[in-house]
Amino acid sequence: MNSSIESVLAGPVVEEEIHLTLVELCHVCNVPEDQVRHWVGEGVLEPMGETPHEWRFAGASLRRTRVATRLARDFELNPPGVALALDLLDEIESLRAHLRRLAGGGVR
Amino acid sequence: MKFKDYYATLGVERSATQDEIKKAYRKLARKYHPDVSKLPDAEARFKDINEANEVLHDPEKRAAYDQMGSQYRAGQDFQPPPDWDAGFEFRGRGDDAGAAPDFDASDFFEALFGRQARQAGGRARAARQASGEDHHAKVLIDLEDAYRAAQRSIALRVPVVDPQGHVVLEERHLDVNIPKGIRAGQHLRLAGQGGPGFGGAPNGDLFLEIEFNPHPRYRVDGKDVYLDLPLAPWEAALGATVDVPTPEGEVQLTVPPGSAAGRKLRLKGKGIPSQPPGDLYAVLSIALPPADTPRAREAYAAMAKAFDGFHPRP
Repeated sequence: MNSSIESVLAGPVVEEEIHLTLVELCHVCNVPEDQVRHWVGEGVLEPMGETPHEWRFAGASLRRTRVATRLARDFELNPPGVALALDLLDEIESLRAHLRRLAGGGVR
Repeated sequence: MKFKDYYATLGVERSATQDEIKKAYRKLARKYHPDVSKLPDAEARFKDINEANEVLHDPEKRAAYDQMGSQYRAGQDFQPPPDWDAGFEFRGRGDDAGAAPDFDASDFFEALFGRQARQAGGRARAARQASGEDHHAKVLIDLEDAYRAAQRSIALRVPVVDPQGHVVLEERHLDVNIPKGIRAGQHLRLAGQGGPGFGGAPNGDLFLEIEFNPHPRYRVDGKDVYLDLPLAPWEAALGATVDVPTPEGEVQLTVPPGSAAGRKLRLKGKGIPSQPPGDLYAVLSIALPPADTPRAREAYAAMAKAFDGFHPRP
């Protein structure tokens, strides 16, 4: 195994400082453009701007698109299925957060 | 290397039909998918399930595995016999639209199927000009790192194709500045640190997803931080000023008289210092002193007398 050392790296926090175009989002998540268009059509992702050319995705879309990509691939979900799964996961996460606020047990 | 029984991983008989294999895989995938499951071993289990499915759902790979595998048992020491795959033609992962690009194969899988597939993919990409792939990795930091900017050294293992065309794992060490105020689930973008570009195109970027190590004292929800604050019964009843440990150091907190267990007291702006900063919540609980001396029992008895009309169960 080779190894290499590099100098100290810094970069922007995607969720706070970055908006992504359709092309950039697809490159980052390694997903075809028309798949992302379908997800926007289902309301899975909500970019600013009218046409796909003008779309700007908030940084938080990165995580959502990555999860959507994995769910679509691993369960062969169509866009409405992805939308439903993500909505349910959001709901479960907010319930889990509620439990965390109430009771002890680690960072998770 | 240990032999892997892919049938056992999916919980099916060796005689299972392709349909039965698919059904078993889907059922386990729903249970252990890391995006869905919060089981602590979900990621490792899902990896095993995926690998088993990768072989068994493909009739060619399954036939080759069956021919070799019938003499072996799971966990047994194993080396693939020479020419074990003679007579089988693999299309390779590059042609297989269903194959997972993130698929992270074991040594066992690599020894059987990995090499041809990986090399085919590498060659196909090298043929034209294309900017490098963006890479993703997770990095664990301490909650305290988010309170004051920190420098973290991380090690990444990246598969690369060497000049002879072999896939080798290269370890990269990166020193990364963790900016103040970052939260779990957020990503850092390190420009040019992803996969190499081909034909003069730029390198991809590396995206680091931030996670916090579990903390013995604090729970985190977005930018808000929670901790349990036990009080003596008289502190809760009469009010008190107590020291509260925050990730930035101790602060004094005034507990109002008559505070019940479960009450949340907010320390505004003492959460994760993003813009605007989160809050820190002290969740009150009441610790009962043990009645293990005659004096302590007397004190409880005196309390019972003093609160004659008190009914905890209405």
